Amino acid sequence: MEQFDYVVLGASHAGLEALRAIRAHDADGSIAVLDREGRLPVSPTVLPYVVSGKRPEDRIALRERGWFDDLQVAYRQQAHAAALDTAYSRLRLADGREIGYGKLLLATGAAPAIPPIEGLSDVRFHVLRTLDDALALREVASAAGRSAGRAVVLGAGLVGMHAAENLARAGARVTIVEMRDQVLPGYFDATAAARIEGAFRDNGVEVLTGRRVARVAPRAAGCTVLLEGGEACDADVLLVAAGVRPEVSYLAGSGVAVERGVVVDEFMRTAAANVWAAGDVVQTRSFFGDATPAGGILPDAVEQGRTAGMSMAGDPALQPYPGGVSLNTYGFFGRRALSVGRDAPREAGPGWETRVRGGEGSDAYLKIVLCEGRLQGVFGVDVLFDPGIMWELILRRVDVGARADALLEDPQDTARALMSGLWR
Amino acid sequence: MTATPTIAFDAARCDGCGDCMNACASAKSTDGKLAQARIHIIRDAESGRWGVAQCRQCGDPRCASVCPAAALEKGDDGIVAWDAGRCVNCLICTAGCTFGGIAFSAKEGYVVKCDQCAGAPQCVAACTRGALRYVTTAKLYNRWGELEDLFVPGLGGCQGCNTELIMRHTLRRVGSNTVLATPPGCIPGMGSVGYNGMLGCKVPVFHPLLTNTASMLTGIRRQYKRKGRNVTALALAGDGGAGDVGFQSLSGAAERGEQILFVCVDNEGYMNTGAQRSGSTTYGAWTATTPVGEGARGKTQDAKNLPLLMMWHGCEYVATASTAFMEDFYAKLEAALDASERGFAYLHLYSPCTSGWRFPSASNIEVARKAVETNFAVLWEYRREHGLKLSRDIDDPAPVTDYLKLLGKFRHLDAAQIAHIEQHVAEQAQVMRELAAMRPGDGLFDRSPSNFLNAAG
Amino acid sequence: MNEVVEKVAPLAEPAGKGMAQGTDKAVVKKEPTILVCDGNEAAAWGIVLSRPDMVAVYPITPQSSLAEYVAQFVADGVLDAELVEAEGEHSVLSVLHGAALAGARTYTASCGQGLAFMFEPYFRTPNLRLPIVMSIVNRDGITPQCVWGGQQDAMTVREVGWVQLFCETVQEVLDTIVMAYRIAEDRSVMLPVNVNHDGNYLSNGIVRIELPDQAEVDDFLGTPDVNWHAALDPDRPMGVDPLTGGATGPGPALFVGYRRGHCEGMQNALRVIVEVHEEWARRFGRRYAPLVEEYRLDGAEYALVTIGSMAGAAKDAVDAARERGDRVGLIRIKTLRPFPVDAMVAALDKLRAVGVVDRAVSYGWNSGPVHQETLAALQYCSKRIPCLSLIGGLAGADLTQAHFERAIAATARLLDSPCPRAPVWLNAEDR
Repeated sequence: MEQFDYVVLGASHAGLEALRAIRAHDADGSIAVLDREGRLPVSPTVLPYVVSGKRPEDRIALRERGWFDDLQVAYRQQAHAAALDTAYSRLRLADGREIGYGKLLLATGAAPAIPPIEGLSDVRFHVLRTLDDALALREVASAAGRSAGRAVVLGAGLVGMHAAENLARAGARVTIVEMRDQVLPGYFDATAAARIEGAFRDNGVEVLTGRRVARVAPRAAGCTVLLEGGEACDADVLLVAAGVRPEVSYLAGSGVAVERGVVVDEFMRTAAANVWAAGDVVQTRSFFGDATPAGGILPDAVEQGRTAGMSMAGDPALQPYPGGVSLNTYGFFGRRALSVGRDAPREAGPGWETRVRGGEGSDAYLKIVLCEGRLQGVFGVDVLFDPGIMWELILRRVDVGARADALLEDPQDTARALMSGLWR
Repeated sequence: MTATPTIAFDAARCDGCGDCMNACASAKSTDGKLAQARIHIIRDAESGRWGVAQCRQCGDPRCASVCPAAALEKGDDGIVAWDAGRCVNCLICTAGCTFGGIAFSAKEGYVVKCDQCAGAPQCVAACTRGALRYVTTAKLYNRWGELEDLFVPGLGGCQGCNTELIMRHTLRRVGSNTVLATPPGCIPGMGSVGYNGMLGCKVPVFHPLLTNTASMLTGIRRQYKRKGRNVTALALAGDGGAGDVGFQSLSGAAERGEQILFVCVDNEGYMNTGAQRSGSTTYGAWTATTPVGEGARGKTQDAKNLPLLMMWHGCEYVATASTAFMEDFYAKLEAALDASERGFAYLHLYSPCTSGWRFPSASNIEVARKAVETNFAVLWEYRREHGLKLSRDIDDPAPVTDYLKLLGKFRHLDAAQIAHIEQHVAEQAQVMRELAAMRPGDGLFDRSPSNFLNAAG
Repeated sequence: MNEVVEKVAPLAEPAGKGMAQGTDKAVVKKEPTILVCDGNEAAAWGIVLSRPDMVAVYPITPQSSLAEYVAQFVADGVLDAELVEAEGEHSVLSVLHGAALAGARTYTASCGQGLAFMFEPYFRTPNLRLPIVMSIVNRDGITPQCVWGGQQDAMTVREVGWVQLFCETVQEVLDTIVMAYRIAEDRSVMLPVNVNHDGNYLSNGIVRIELPDQAEVDDFLGTPDVNWHAALDPDRPMGVDPLTGGATGPGPALFVGYRRGHCEGMQNALRVIVEVHEEWARRFGRRYAPLVEEYRLDGAEYALVTIGSMAGAAKDAVDAARERGDRVGLIRIKTLRPFPVDAMVAALDKLRAVGVVDRAVSYGWNSGPVHQETLAALQYCSKRIPCLSLIGGLAGADLTQAHFERAIAATARLLDSPCPRAPVWLNAEDR
């Protein structure tokens, strides 16, 4: 049985950052990274650009082989974890091999969630999580575009919206179906979402919010999507983009606690000894201590990977993971929407303050949410600011109450001035 | 991990003129139209201070860690480089950076960031206020980092002591073909010669007497020279062992031109034994033997200027340095090492003592910096063939009180004492100014103080 | 000073009275080179022959001409050594510490105030086990001001841990300096050696001496290996003189190890000194009593104990007394440190009374230092032997045959009268 001091399961953002953090502190320990894929790691975030043809698939690898060699990391492809035996600190792979570990990081990410829609399993549909998914979708999108075919996207999250835009740009007639009452729910507030939705409509995309799919039925080469309420959309291409679920199947019986994802503490330790978890596989705690959905945030996965890696290597500079903060940079039809943090709750108390500029019809929209002077969230469409600085202002719980007007007026320079005085 | 050059910003010197931004925009413009500055100077309305947003070329760049397209990468040159051919314009890098160092440019349609203009940053060149500096110290750190650390990993220094920095960096540069003398004081106290048979260095090291460091090194250097071996004779001595009880042997060896590299770590007193006064202790300073009470307010005499005394010996090389100015220290260490092949080289390091001077252990470098910026400690360099040269401008010093107020040992000072120190600092600065204005032919070479005084007077 | 030369000169002949046994002329290989010189020059020739790597000196009366001779020998190329003209005696010995730790055979000379100023590194030299050879051209101490001979300097530092040898003649000065390197560098000893020669009497008394053959001396001394035990050498990195841990850790045992080893080295030196003198006699034909010289003790009832150059005049007085029928003999101490207890006891046990002549004062005992040493040795004798202290020759004062005849008379009185506690001050009436 092969044995490594550190084994990292998964080679996406969290896993790769953990490798770097481990090696930064432990120059000698043996490390292996096991990736399900048979090719160099690729971020799900670039897949829409593969679908659109903007990036060739051979120029999107997150890391080249040399990177692993330089770190003296054994990089294993097509290594599927099948079972974890925490009592004996070993992993069993799908091909039957076993690998022993001193410390293990679970960074297996998430897989597309397939909603329990009647008839879905009887039709051909697409998801977008892996490069193979992207290549398959690119092919049908291009065909659909050429023939001005119809595409239906189930789900108006970032993946669905990106894909819808790409399909539309390719020439397809696109319909987005979202069961909640706005696009990009959880990422942007309703006003921002409305501006984004408007852009899609302006570009010929049909957006159906607050609508559920009742059933899917085969139709010729494609399918028909039947909505609750009776409406039907024909689809030459059906993309299911209804979110993701953590990839935890191999953890059954391992002693690693799983709820909505793997349960971890502030150092990304799981319930099992010598096992850490980071990234989309984790049930991320919100920085705000509330129920705001956190997870699926790329910079957050990196942060978790770093925390886990430092904790595994015993790096004394380790700081507890502060909790997830929603953070999105979203480009659509040449425009940009940025969001950091959370919106005010529906029944906000007296400490809450929301400042808004630019409503419907104006050039730009910006909303700043404060609670007792501390920044909670910033949402902007067609307004530029540095989301990284806003993120840090939130994490540091900086009192920006006195600068609320300035922040609203000029969020970029105001936040930069704060940064320059506080942590530069 | 290698360290890299950086562009440093001094808010106190910035007046917001914007020349740096203009210089950057025009440097980065191919046709004079599209470019947008990669440096932004911003004024904080609350404090009135100027701030900067610019890529810091982080050693551990988060913009690159979060980039899903591997379009950002820290290169061997230290620059976090952006690859247009890979960027998908997702802007996640702007969420990874907490410094506003990479931002979307509406004019250019993608993110832009500083690349330090291939080693010649135009913003720095354009800054007339000295608010922007291109700090290349990192190159030296890298070079030093590749050299073997010849001191044990752990040591018994006080928290925040900068002498570890001095020990390690000096030994790294001087190398293993060295005999190291550490006379009684903080450095052997930290464990250089070890305890009970355990050794603190990877080079031969010994306790000379407090009084005879330069003499013992004389014998060592001369014997190896006689046997055809070029062994560096290095002293790391305190100010007492150099300038008080050890001064005779130091003076004798300097006068004889012995080929020794003598480094004096001046913490202005006998700090290892409980902070007693020495000849290097500043006027007014509290020490254990110049206490503060009903009838006493600290030391009543000025410190002697030991490096200047050494210069008058006609040494091959004499310089003062500070750990707050490592680049300068490194350059002087190099020069001193080289000079010690030909004659006596004396390097005087101003070394604040966290415990004996009574300041927080995290402030050592800041204290050292303020000492220099207030002219309290003047950095200069003397080479026998070129005379004396100031290492940095001393004409626009910060107020001496900026330095005094940092230190517990000066807390009791009254107005008259502060005035005394201010005057002494000003006088010393003036002496250094006049010495720096002299050329070898003016009398610095014939080792005759009267000649110098005539010329300077 | 003429009188001094007269007294010393006859003693310096190769077969002079200083030699306890006959000569071994048969083994002398070449015709010796003859020089006429004083003790300081003889010492300098001893240094030339010993080929040290480094000599550090600071001038002081009456050592100065020795320093000058050495400097001239270096300047003339007669001696190939690094010469360090240090800024004081403190540095002189410190330079040699460094040099010895770097592997050098070393030499210096000092006396009196110079030795006092040198004391800090002097005190440390034997603890570092450095085989440095140093002449003390004995000089009395101040105050009152005095630049003249006397042994107060060497006697004052006799507990510091150096080997201390005292010479009687100019020839013995030269020979002993060369022998001192063999003794000091012996691996069982590794201690510094002081070769004492009296200021004025020996330093400036000009006599005829023989210069040993250089090749023979080279063979006798061998290649120096002085830092095998403690070195400051990048090829063999080590820490010299670490901190010890006081009452805790391995500190006390470490420290005791240093001290006990030092004492063992001193005891080993007693054997080595004898062996080296024996070999010297075989190779060079001049035999000196290595530890304690017994002069005409056969049939003696009582004797004088002397040290250094005074033995010449003292032996004349003994000879004269013997001719008169007085049963007096003489003991000359050559090796004061380590103290040759057995040799001294063997000599004393033949006697019924002794008078010890010192050229220094032991203030605390109201006697002389050698008197104190003798008293301590008497403890091991088979019977109680009265022991009188006589002090003379301070600050260059002459000790003539007449003075020793008075010393002999005072000692003779011990045979039938109680021994006075107070010393006899031999020059008290000299004006």
